[in-house]
Amino acid sequence: MSTLSLSSSHPSSPSPSSPSPSSPLSSSSCPSTFSMPMPASITPPGSPPSPTMSVDSIRGHNALRLDSPLELDQQRKTKVMIVDDNSINLSILSRMLEKHFTDIIQLTVVMTSGVEALQRLATEEFDLILMDIDMPVLTGVQTTVAIRQSTSEYPILKHNQSVPIIAVTTSDGAEQRELYQQVGMLDCVSKPIVLSKLRSAIEGAMKASR
Amino acid sequence: MTATSPTQAPSTAETVINNIKGTEEPEVADKGAETETETDADEFEDNGIIDHTTFDQLLEMDDEEDHEFSRSLVWNYFEQAEKTFVDMDDAMEKLDFPDLSRLGHFLKGSSAALGLTKVKESCEKLQHYGNRKDAAGVESITNDEAETLIRALLVQMRREYNEAESYLKVFYDGQE
Repeated sequence: MSTLSLSSSHPSSPSPSSPSPSSPLSSSSCPSTFSMPMPASITPPGSPPSPTMSVDSIRGHNALRLDSPLELDQQRKTKVMIVDDNSINLSILSRMLEKHFTDIIQLTVVMTSGVEALQRLATEEFDLILMDIDMPVLTGVQTTVAIRQSTSEYPILKHNQSVPIIAVTTSDGAEQRELYQQVGMLDCVSKPIVLSKLRSAIEGAMKASR
Repeated sequence: MTATSPTQAPSTAETVINNIKGTEEPEVADKGAETETETDADEFEDNGIIDHTTFDQLLEMDDEEDHEFSRSLVWNYFEQAEKTFVDMDDAMEKLDFPDLSRLGHFLKGSSAALGLTKVKESCEKLQHYGNRKDAAGVESITNDEAETLIRALLVQMRREYNEAESYLKVFYDGQE
């Protein structure tokens, strides 16, 4: 079963806070990370079908071949990381993706800090990052620079070094947008998020990455 | 819950605010600071508490005939806001302006995400005052001015939050 993984935190406390038990992102007995099952509408993650394992090849049909790179790419859905230090914002954005983007998004992982995001990007490939900007310790800009540059302190998988990154922020003035572009972000979506603008940004990012 | 900021501060702060605010445009949030908190449900609709475009978008993400997602989100927000107000009061005790600015920014984000217009605007002001800037975030202000403005703002913000909390609780009680 695919899972939505979350590390919860509060801006001022050194240890993670515990939202109410009824919250969609309520913590379990483990305060720092927990998982929750994805709805049945989200297909579980898995490897893209290999040429020898496509259903049609097994059945011996000469129908659609699912083993060409383009067809595999079209079939494979997107794995998204959301980075935001505010659990309310994380809840809303992940719910939006769950409700409105099941056509293109396979799995969403949420991180509550830039540091956690970099640690995850060292070991797991992602196709898209939705990045908050104003976060403590490492801002979204600093995190993006670290992703693009892959230092010894924060080594990043090669695939992730060029992953499309979209800023999701209230800091969306012209100068700030220019800065986001300069450090390697593809687009900026303003908060509070308007669904149509989020879709436009995500689709644009996925096209640009192909 | 009661505000912990001094009740005498607002009258002095209002004088300072009026002196500094000469070039600022009047905002809905300022009206809230000068009037009694409305309790009539009809007044809530016209009082700018909720941006319905944003809030309705949240409701649309609920499952049919079930507001569990948005309800738990809102109750999470209540918990987050209460804790943040405590942290703000602690930061105020220490006159930790950077921390106040950071906390203002933090709560601004979630307030905006739920469409809580007045609270969001006050959080934005706190963010600016904590950076020793005026309400628009443009002109510099002194530490003393920032302290006076923030003390009054915390009282105002708490009042606006209470108003929003009451509105939301009435809304969700009506959904049961």
